[in-house]
Amino acid sequence: MSFLAAPPTAPAIDPTKVREVSSWPHTSPLVCARFDPSGAFVFAGAQDNTIVRWTVPEGKKVVLTGHKSWVRSLAFSARDGLLFSGDYAGRLLAWPVAGDAPAPRWDITAHRGWIRALASSPDSRRLASCGNDHLVRLWHVPDGQPLRTLDGHDCHVYNVAFHPDGKWLASADLKGNVKVWDVERGECVRELDARILHKYDGVFRADIGGARGMAFDPEGKYLACCGITNVSNAFAGVGNPLVVLFDWASGKQKAQLKPRAPHQGTAWGVAIHPLGFILAAGGGNGGELWVWKPDDPLSWHTLKLAGNARDLSLHPKGRLVAIPCHDSRLRLYDLASAAR
Amino acid sequence: MHCNYACGSSDHLLSRRSFLTAAGGALGLGLLTQPSLARVLNGQQKRVLVIDLHGGVSQLETWDPKPGTNTGGPFQAIPTSVPGIHISELLPHTARQMHRMALVRSLNTAEDDHGKGAIIMNTGRRQEPGLTYPHLGSACARLLGDESNPLPGYINITPHGTGGVSVADAAFLGPRFAPVSLDDGKAPQNIDRPADLTAAAEQTRQLLRLRASERFLRRRRTAQTEAYTQTYDQAVGLMQKKHLFNTANEPEKLRDRYGRHDFGRHCLLARRLLEGGATFVKVTHTNYDTHHENFDFHLEQLGEFDLPFATLLEDLALRGLLDTTLVIVQSEFGRTPNINHLYGRDHWSRAWSVALAGCGIKGGAVVGKTNANGTAVVDREVNAGHLFHTYFKALGLDPKKNFYVEQRPIPLADPKASAITEILA
Amino acid sequence: MSMSRTALLAGVVSLFFLPYSKAAAPAVRSEPLHVRIDRLIGIDQDFARYDAGLASDSEFLRRVHIDLAGYIPTSAQIRAFLADSAPDKRRRVIEQLLNSPEYARNMAQVFDVLLMERRPSRHVPQADWHEFLRQAFLNNRPWDEVVREILSGDGTDPKKRHRIKFFLERDSDPHLVSRDISRLLLGMNLQCAQCHDHPRIEDYRQEHYYGLFAFVSRTTAVQDKNKKLLLLSEKADGETTYQSVFDPKKITKTAVPRVPFGPALVEPLVDKAKLYVIAPAADVAAVPTFSRLARLAGAITQRDYLPFRRNLANRLWAHLMGRGLFEPFDNDHSANPPSHPEVLDLLAQELADNGFNIRAILRELALTKTYQRSSIPRPGTDAKQAPLYAIAVVKPLSPEQLAWSVMQATGLLESYRKAYGGKDPEGEAYRRLAPSAALFINAFANPPGQPQTFEPRTDQALLLANHPSLRSWLAPGSTLATRLNSLPLPTRVEELYLSVLGRLPDEEERKEATEFLTRQPKDIGDLAWALLTSPEFRFNH
Repeated sequence: MSFLAAPPTAPAIDPTKVREVSSWPHTSPLVCARFDPSGAFVFAGAQDNTIVRWTVPEGKKVVLTGHKSWVRSLAFSARDGLLFSGDYAGRLLAWPVAGDAPAPRWDITAHRGWIRALASSPDSRRLASCGNDHLVRLWHVPDGQPLRTLDGHDCHVYNVAFHPDGKWLASADLKGNVKVWDVERGECVRELDARILHKYDGVFRADIGGARGMAFDPEGKYLACCGITNVSNAFAGVGNPLVVLFDWASGKQKAQLKPRAPHQGTAWGVAIHPLGFILAAGGGNGGELWVWKPDDPLSWHTLKLAGNARDLSLHPKGRLVAIPCHDSRLRLYDLASAAR
Repeated sequence: MHCNYACGSSDHLLSRRSFLTAAGGALGLGLLTQPSLARVLNGQQKRVLVIDLHGGVSQLETWDPKPGTNTGGPFQAIPTSVPGIHISELLPHTARQMHRMALVRSLNTAEDDHGKGAIIMNTGRRQEPGLTYPHLGSACARLLGDESNPLPGYINITPHGTGGVSVADAAFLGPRFAPVSLDDGKAPQNIDRPADLTAAAEQTRQLLRLRASERFLRRRRTAQTEAYTQTYDQAVGLMQKKHLFNTANEPEKLRDRYGRHDFGRHCLLARRLLEGGATFVKVTHTNYDTHHENFDFHLEQLGEFDLPFATLLEDLALRGLLDTTLVIVQSEFGRTPNINHLYGRDHWSRAWSVALAGCGIKGGAVVGKTNANGTAVVDREVNAGHLFHTYFKALGLDPKKNFYVEQRPIPLADPKASAITEILA
Repeated sequence: MSMSRTALLAGVVSLFFLPYSKAAAPAVRSEPLHVRIDRLIGIDQDFARYDAGLASDSEFLRRVHIDLAGYIPTSAQIRAFLADSAPDKRRRVIEQLLNSPEYARNMAQVFDVLLMERRPSRHVPQADWHEFLRQAFLNNRPWDEVVREILSGDGTDPKKRHRIKFFLERDSDPHLVSRDISRLLLGMNLQCAQCHDHPRIEDYRQEHYYGLFAFVSRTTAVQDKNKKLLLLSEKADGETTYQSVFDPKKITKTAVPRVPFGPALVEPLVDKAKLYVIAPAADVAAVPTFSRLARLAGAITQRDYLPFRRNLANRLWAHLMGRGLFEPFDNDHSANPPSHPEVLDLLAQELADNGFNIRAILRELALTKTYQRSSIPRPGTDAKQAPLYAIAVVKPLSPEQLAWSVMQATGLLESYRKAYGGKDPEGEAYRRLAPSAALFINAFANPPGQPQTFEPRTDQALLLANHPSLRSWLAPGSTLATRLNSLPLPTRVEELYLSVLGRLPDEEERKEATEFLTRQPKDIGDLAWALLTSPEFRFNH
């Protein structure tokens, strides 16, 4: 697959030329971000318990209030035009994506404790949630009825993602165990090993781990989980960002992707571009955006960011990357090689 | 009786002899009565339990939550067994014990360093050049303890492998009031008297050892040589109480409720030791120094703290011990209201909290307030000096009384402060 | 009249000079080191008043045996020394000890603990490492040479894995390695300077930490598939950057390899095509053409670099004198000056001048009056007011010294030497008794990775009181009891005190011991136990 393939009228995607094109301020640090499936909006959760929506590319801002805790989980139903948001008080809300003043339609206590991630099935008929109560749950879209509880993890579940063909759901927990569930039958069919993303810090006597970001490639050949590894001091964040890339068919680790220049911190968000390269963003000792070619474990390109990145979202058209930052700004980056 | 290294006094010799023969009376030194036992039976013995949440626990994630503010973080506040008092959702079981507890939310100790903060909280004063104040444990061992009590006056249950506190804790009170550390709460190895050693032979050899030790200490007494000699007396005392370390005799359900992990077991051991006559017991839960990912780590650590602590309070109450046991839950300092770029909170001593319960403490009382987002004390600011006045008064002691170091009077608590009477029963 | 004018003049002069003024007595370069040291130590005007005088012969012999050989002398050795009337007998004993196999073994132990802090031997066998150190001391190899070997990081020769142990047992973690090098070899604890300039020590800055870190940051441990060894793999590139967590602007700096307070490493431009001698590959330890790591040891041991020599001088001083010239051992900085700066300077310079000859330094230190001083305060004086070293410091035995002294006191060491000695009595006895020694050492040692401190604990007392091993060594029928019981009573008492406490009993002790043993002859083991567990045994005085 050529990285520089592009339709004749559009500028070529060249990740080595990635640059910031927008920087939209909010009044509180941001913790997550997602483009909606149409690409018209980008949503970000913030530390003031709100969700902020900006239009893309204009940056017109609307604040969605209703949560009473941080939102770090966002998902969508393209079919119903809905945004799903999960907060750290275990509440799951649904909102219309568009409109001047979206108001919540669902208000479900989905989990005891944090909801750490949401994922929408490819056909938008199901929503998966996971959280601190060790559970993964499936919900009917659009009416919010509980469908299934997937019980098997023995610690906080950090992330969930549907396989692109909709048959399987992957969930990753604090200790780096990735369970693969058969969605229809609700059974765990196999496990993947991402334990390199977990450490029990014997000095501070606490666990650090979990897939902070998780994503399949569009064809479902690979699963990426990202987080922090090599932790020598969990309470100061001394460790290195890592993306673990699994070969889906075999379930084995294909690669462990690291920044070429060692960086101290956590990788918070990951995406696999349709053109094949892998993107991740993170922060700790400064924020960075990394790009890898799939056959090289060391990054192909690194962009230093203005501050710590807390997530990463790839625009449905594959050209823009949204990164929510600690400094309260939502930043957009353009992967195309030249301005239009 | 304080320790004067120049003295070579026979006071020490006598007291150790009496300490030994309390168990049995050979060599014509006579059986002594056990006043500590009498005190226990009369309900007069007072005890102290300190839970040290090591590293700087966040007051915003425990005793003084500020949900919905720019400093509050993602956790909610929950009601407690006392109407009007809310604490962090991370302490659901402790919340149900609030009627036994008092909270001080207006603590300002102005010291963000771990070591110095610990000294302030453990001695009630800032460190001074030329004078080291004794640790609360040593002070309590001295003031509340009894010489004939076989258990060491100050017992420190430490998490595995963290090492004990140092000989220096006792300061001018002398090494006899230094802490005995129990690594991971285990009964010390070799606690059984050898089968081929009779009680009489044990007495004999201890007296011979004492004699040899005194000879040496007459001319070369230092803090270190004293401390070393003391460990044998402590060993004898511990041997007599070895049954206390065996938690296996406790009902399974209770052991489950305390929790089978380290902190749970240590809390259960603390209860047994207090019940068995220990004067001062400290249990440490580590670690809370969450500069990075404060919320995840406080979730984990407080998740481990909450039920054992609540169980311990309940257990002490049910056994009729809580009225005579002062319970203190403390840290070196609190954590910043500001959430840093690593989702962490940093050291903060300007406006933080301490929780108390038990002997002399008014249950359900809250004193002091911080502002809306916890960045300053707005009502009834206190420091560690006030806390120490409060502790001593709660224990029925007069904090204005003095220790004497070579005739120099050293007040028990900082004379510039006073007791927080709002939380005294 | 003239006396009062002289006194007035002296008073005026003393107003302008600090206690350790050089003007009080000029140093004479040709004088032996131990004389110069004594002069500097005794310079305080109160010194003479509090001077405790020399330790007695038996006190001296016990002290110097423990410090140089690692354990107490036998009763026979003490009797011979007490009976010797030669005026230079102390000097001869010092010389004899410094040239003994016991000295080499002892120093190997001391420096093993200093350098490795009892970290478990997961990658390099302890025996190989220990033997390397022992040989180094046996041959009095220059210490800078030894350190260059220890820090070379070259583990390719399976017979010389001591060269890589320092790194491998620390998992080649660059933060841990640089921290420990600064603490253990340079006398500076730079750990707090990892995230920001040290909050309390002005001198220690982030740049110092990262300058050292940059030497080792490109190195990791790799199980090399070709050489079938765990080796260090070093990249030829990769810069160390750092920020201060206190810096709101988050300025990022790049670290150049530089030993703290020393010169920056000059790095040549290497042809991009020839960056490696062994190129990086999976399961292959890469070797760059220019290795930063290989230059670290040379940088810290080179003559002009002071911190290494100051630290070594301080440690050697502390080993004999019981306290460092500066303390804590890893806090050498301008706000924590040494108690006797000229003495430290003198020793640090001597190391450079004599080619890092540790044996020579120890010889001079042992010859000082400072070292040989009594630990009993002068009667009628308040010990708390005495200037430093006017009274010898009473120092606890290290875990090793205690363990081996117990085995010497109980007669085990001697009996093993006789029974298994052959050509190498010292080595044979050591190897066979090492597991028993380990029992005691572990009980008294601090946890791995932590410096040794004296923290007497109840569990240690319980060990010495109740453990079956010690009881069997003191029981009726044991080596010690059998030997003592074969002697007539007066000699028996003497031998007991000599063997355990290293001295003759005084009149009162003779009387009490004789009465006791007459009443309870079978219980000599209990009396021996009492002496063994008294502070007189536990401490080096």
